[in-house]
Amino acid sequence: MADVKVKKESSDPVDIENRIKALCQQFPHGITDQVIQNDMPHLEAQQRAMAINRLLSLGQLDLLRNSSGLLYRMKDAQTASKMKGSDNQEKLVYQVIEDAGNKGIWSRDIRYKSNLPLTEINKILKNLESKKLIKAVKSVAASKKKVYMLYNLQPDRSVTGGAWYSDQDFESEFVEVLNQQCFKFLQSKAEAARDSKQNPMVQRNSSFATSHEVWKYICELGISKVDLSMEDIETILNTLIYDGKVEMTIIAAKEGTVGSVDGQMKLYRGVNPIIQPTGLVKAPCGLCPVFDDCHEGGEISPSNCVYMAEWLDF
Amino acid sequence: MTAQEVRLCGLLLQEHFGEVVERIGTHLLRGGAQNLRTIANETNTPLDLVKKSLCVLVQHGACEFGSGRRGPGSPVEYRANCERVLRVLRYPRYIYTAKTLYGDTGELIVEEVLQRGHMTMSNTVKTVADRLTHNMEEGRSMEYSEVVSAFSKLVETHFLQRCPPVAEMGTAASSTTPSNPDCYKLPHVTLIGRGKRRRSSDDSEEQRGGKKAKMEVESCGDEGIYWQVNFERFHQHFRDQAVISAVASKLDQTSSEIVRTMLRMSEVTTTQTAAYTQPLSANEIFRSLPPNYSISRPILDQYLSLLVDDPVGADLDSPPHIPTLNLQRALANLARATLESVVQERFGSRSARIFRLLLRKRHLEQKQVEDFAMIPAKEAKDMLYTLLSENLVQLQEIPKTPDHAPSRTFYLYTVNQLPTARLLLQHCYKTVANLIERRLFETKENKRLLEKSQRIEAILASLQASGAEPEQLTEVEEMITAPERQQLEALRHHINKLDSTENQVDETVFLLESYIFSTKTK
Repeated sequence: MADVKVKKESSDPVDIENRIKALCQQFPHGITDQVIQNDMPHLEAQQRAMAINRLLSLGQLDLLRNSSGLLYRMKDAQTASKMKGSDNQEKLVYQVIEDAGNKGIWSRDIRYKSNLPLTEINKILKNLESKKLIKAVKSVAASKKKVYMLYNLQPDRSVTGGAWYSDQDFESEFVEVLNQQCFKFLQSKAEAARDSKQNPMVQRNSSFATSHEVWKYICELGISKVDLSMEDIETILNTLIYDGKVEMTIIAAKEGTVGSVDGQMKLYRGVNPIIQPTGLVKAPCGLCPVFDDCHEGGEISPSNCVYMAEWLDF
Repeated sequence: MTAQEVRLCGLLLQEHFGEVVERIGTHLLRGGAQNLRTIANETNTPLDLVKKSLCVLVQHGACEFGSGRRGPGSPVEYRANCERVLRVLRYPRYIYTAKTLYGDTGELIVEEVLQRGHMTMSNTVKTVADRLTHNMEEGRSMEYSEVVSAFSKLVETHFLQRCPPVAEMGTAASSTTPSNPDCYKLPHVTLIGRGKRRRSSDDSEEQRGGKKAKMEVESCGDEGIYWQVNFERFHQHFRDQAVISAVASKLDQTSSEIVRTMLRMSEVTTTQTAAYTQPLSANEIFRSLPPNYSISRPILDQYLSLLVDDPVGADLDSPPHIPTLNLQRALANLARATLESVVQERFGSRSARIFRLLLRKRHLEQKQVEDFAMIPAKEAKDMLYTLLSENLVQLQEIPKTPDHAPSRTFYLYTVNQLPTARLLLQHCYKTVANLIERRLFETKENKRLLEKSQRIEAILASLQASGAEPEQLTEVEEMITAPERQQLEALRHHINKLDSTENQVDETVFLLESYIFSTKTK
């Protein structure tokens, strides 16, 4: 009886690679070793490994790790072509920078991760920058520090400071303008509520504005070139609270109501200060910069105080 | 007894009682309890002057005496009461309050009692009646009964109280007035009569009349029952006013009326240091509301629940329908607002923002302060360091490693409300002292001018009384030249301004003192 000869598929390396590539394209998220094995059960582990290595070195596969093991993913043809001209070291540095995502990575950290000497790193970085593969972004926290990230990535908020920073400068006028606008909005709402002369509960409730309303109002005003999110508006409203002009309450809101975050809504209301400027500041001594040096009979004393003389003649 | 307080007390004593009393008073304040001989020796004053000044101080309640340290047999020791002397600054406010509550009669009663320290009722009534009659038109005079009614109203609302009986030597001093059951009981004295008008032409008659009046006083029934002003009650009133105005500015007029009603109802039942008012039912409040605020019952309930929810204002606590006012928290809020307003006026609104931020969030790092307050890093740093150097903000170190290396330590900024309030209170005392000194300086500078104007006024008055012609009057008036007149005007303006500012600073002093006092008695 002729043995059923299991036809051994010719372990043609190129065929294997093509097969693996086809599998990768089938599963864009990546394939594990297991998947390859299932597909080509006759393939020995060694040949499989060789094929994968070849593909990796050619830069056509990406090696990733996830919780269950190693993943192989098809690399973008475009990026694959980019790296054609570079050597391994550059590729390594590039890899490290890519891993850092949009937070960027400092040159010293690149050195640690790749174990390359400083001069090499600098050369490679210059090279990559000229090829327009990476870019340097100045960090807002330490103005001398430069972090590198991929060219087409948007730098993360923590690096550039978010909506309040433009080119590393804190936009104080912008913040001030927003501050005033929000306050005017809340104040006018409170006044409208007060003038409506209904019973107090309704009056108070109608003088509240949710953070969502304020956000919509500011967006409609169109004074901001940058898109502001609701968190940004909330930080502005917080500064108004710290100015003592606004108070906030949190109420529980059903999930799904417009503007609610985690089942809560923040309500803001314009308020008046509870006392007038206090008596101490009506005297020049309350505001005097040399208050502690003032003694009777000294250089600075109440009898010859210049501030008092001016204030009395006012 | 800080240095600033002693300086201020000295100035106040000097203005109101003279140099000798001031010397004795400051010596007592600085030195604690001393006996007669020590005081006389150390201040180099003759013994009888010392005795007289001590009498004055005791009369006004600024000084107490008690048995000496070495037991009942040792010489009497005298102790000065700094707080009481500082109250002198607040006399104008007390008098003004009495005027708004009880009219001119009340004002004059309180003024007399404040001036004399302790007075009997009959004495007060007579003096006040005379004064009122003096200011009235010809032919009318003040009934004693009116004055008596005003006096009794003041006593009923606890603004005046009896002085505690003087302790015998060797026995323990009687406890303070609240436990004295009779302190608000009016003596049974019937005073019938009218005020006497004093005329300058009746001087000789007045002498005899004065003697007769003295005889009459002795026959009144209230010997030995002396009355004094109950400062604590006035303070309670001021505090209520502050709370009501805070509620009015925060919420609206009607809420403040409700709060006012609640406070009025618990006026005599709440002790001065109570943290909460007595529980009142909403029904009682409804009934006691003033008639022109006709709001219906459900609306009242709504207002009450609004007051409960309000985070900053008068702080009603309630299980519903039994609202009480949390006075301690109200005072703390008022004190905090005072601190914030001082920082705002002195350093600008951005520093005030940082200050308020630190008050709310307690402890923050430098970076967090910049982020929350949305102030650029450089400016925020500058402001924080300024506040730190003025001691309004404190730095708290939290080391990460046992060796406290600066690079591995957290530095947190924080604001402690109570110590900052105390610091500001001392500033206030110094400010008031500065204002008084400036006033004295201005008066001294222009003494010559003032004396001249006084002489001219005296001449004018005598000329007018003796019926002179207008030319003589104008001649005399022209003795003051125009620039001198201007100078006098300016001087008057300055002194008024300084005076009124003293009163305003005193308001701050009151708020801070009440807050600090309320935190002490826990």
